[in-house]
Amino acid sequence: MKEISQFISYILPLLYLGVIYVYYVLFTGKKKSWISKTTLILGGLLIIHGFEIGLRHAVLKTIPFSTVHDALSFLGFSILFVYMIIELRLKNRGSGIFVLFFAFILEVVSTFNLSWEPETNELLSSPTFAIHAAFTIMGYTAMSLSALYAIMYIIQNHNLKKRNLGKLFMQLPALNYLEKMSIQSAFMGIVLLGIGLLMGHVQAEAIMGEFWPNDVKVIAADIAWALYLIGYIIAQFLRLHGKKMAYLSIAGYFILVVGGFLIANLAETFHEFN
Amino acid sequence: MVDKLNNDIALGVLGISHKTASVEIRELVSLNEEEQKNIIHQVTHDFSVNNIEVDGILILSTCNRTEFYVSADHIDIILPALRQLLVTYKKCPYYNDENITYEKFGFEAARHFFNVICGIDSQIVGEMQITGQVKDCYNFAHHLDATDAVLNKLYNFGMQVKRKVRNETFLSDGTVSVSFAGVELARKIFSDLTDKRILLVGAGKTAELAAVHFLENNVKAINVANRTLSKAEELAEKFGGQSYTLDDLDTALREADIVISATSSDDYVITKSMMSDITRKKYYESIFLIDLAIPRDIDPKIESLNNVYLYNLDDLNGIVEKNLEKRRMEIPSANKIIDEFMLEFQKWVNTNTMASIVSKLKSHLETLSNNEMSRIRKQFPENGYQKEIENYTQNIINKLVRQHMKSLKKNAGDPEKYKQHIELIYNLYEIDKE
Repeated sequence: MKEISQFISYILPLLYLGVIYVYYVLFTGKKKSWISKTTLILGGLLIIHGFEIGLRHAVLKTIPFSTVHDALSFLGFSILFVYMIIELRLKNRGSGIFVLFFAFILEVVSTFNLSWEPETNELLSSPTFAIHAAFTIMGYTAMSLSALYAIMYIIQNHNLKKRNLGKLFMQLPALNYLEKMSIQSAFMGIVLLGIGLLMGHVQAEAIMGEFWPNDVKVIAADIAWALYLIGYIIAQFLRLHGKKMAYLSIAGYFILVVGGFLIANLAETFHEFN
Repeated sequence: MVDKLNNDIALGVLGISHKTASVEIRELVSLNEEEQKNIIHQVTHDFSVNNIEVDGILILSTCNRTEFYVSADHIDIILPALRQLLVTYKKCPYYNDENITYEKFGFEAARHFFNVICGIDSQIVGEMQITGQVKDCYNFAHHLDATDAVLNKLYNFGMQVKRKVRNETFLSDGTVSVSFAGVELARKIFSDLTDKRILLVGAGKTAELAAVHFLENNVKAINVANRTLSKAEELAEKFGGQSYTLDDLDTALREADIVISATSSDDYVITKSMMSDITRKKYYESIFLIDLAIPRDIDPKIESLNNVYLYNLDDLNGIVEKNLEKRRMEIPSANKIIDEFMLEFQKWVNTNTMASIVSKLKSHLETLSNNEMSRIRKQFPENGYQKEIENYTQNIINKLVRQHMKSLKKNAGDPEKYKQHIELIYNLYEIDKE
């Protein structure tokens, strides 16, 4: 069982590459007949990825977000899942290659850093941890999508301004749609991550007796989330639109994820499970 | 003489199109519904050349072509007679002019039909209107009982080819009309146009025509601003929108998401400072400006403003040109699909001719057998094995025919070999081709 789980884990990035190739071919407009098959192929990839997550849990008793690398894999999975719903709803596959590429990077980083030791940490079996981690990952998923749509907005805006009306322009969705998706995803991200962080505090109080533990990662995460929230409120208050909003979304994501990643890897923290 | 077996299939096309004749000539030779009905009736009922009759006819008459797809044995004799009939009927000599008409026979005619139905032969490559026109012309002829098995199958395959070409190539993708290019661009900015308000600056024909495409996309409102208010009111009334004078242009612009400008003004009607103020008041919501005027109405410096997208006539023409070029580049892919269907069509034709030749062969062999049996009966009247001999002979005939059928089926996909085999059967058994 463990060998099968390992095999699927290692083969998963290759499958991601295969699906990226399909979307690349569509993106370049080489095979129109593949258009109707993308959702099926994407669904297949998600099923295999979901199976891999389930199998790891069955074999090693880990939950999908107990380590940074498990969490990255789950983040990639959930981003792709949300994207598939969007693709089905809008019948637009133009942004697929961007989303897939992002998910692929997360998957590669995750796969080659996975631990194959069974989970022993009791903390991770707490139901509040599962809720805390699930909401946090969903929050990051939404914020990742917000940043991705913001990047696509900037590219599409550039295309329209410079009259680059080629394949990239044709494949990407409309500016208005990209902007809406980015803003709505950012809002969803704030809410979901907010719940995730709150649940983390509740769990910290239950285990350590402190609602706000003096831990650099916890403080950094709270500050980053608060900054993101403030940025969002200011943008809404000033009715910011277009490029400015897109840059703000990317900057917020950069602070949240890159800042969080650096602190998680450089600082001493209790928030370590592996 | 061109017959079914020597020229693949008894099909021919006689036509005049945008490739061979000017619009003035095309107008003269085109046929309205009544005329088509008369021609179809004459050709299928009262028309016979050297006892050869027409089995079926389709008439495709559009602004870009008038074509006659005819199914008949010895089609090379029928088409000149048809030319003569048309010259007399339309009272114009063009159908006899070989410089502006074309004739294609057999599978070449079938390929031409596929090219037409896919839009490869159209003036604007990949245009989709032709499919509907072919459909109508087929239904018209079918309703008049003027289509035979060959034309039915040709149409059937044609529709399949068209579907596959449309699904698997980009031959019909991208807009190729300047005014529609504006709508396409607007969709790339706003995605949904139903809640968007259009402002026409200028109340002339150009602005009105451009607005019609937006109206078809169910935009929320079409307002008009013009130097003369009465003209603005007149046009705004048509679209159910509001009217403004150019003095109120600021107000009108503030309420617009898409602006189409086509005035005859020598100066810029919409300046950068005006637009800069408006975007600020609109909280930097996107605004799309289309400048169709020459000289231009909108200051090109506006382009530098955030969330403002300005396109002029040259830009739109550029989009159309690029799309046409892309469509032309898709022709080889479409031709590959047509090749596939040509092969399928050939197989169908071969299977059809196979049934005819097999029946001829069988009847020929049975005649030989009957003659021999009569001779045996005469020579050996007391022979008690006549029934058995008859059975054995029939078995041999069946085996021979089966063997030929097997071989013909095997070669059905290879027109050359298939034709050779048919010829072999005719020559070997001395079967009459008629």
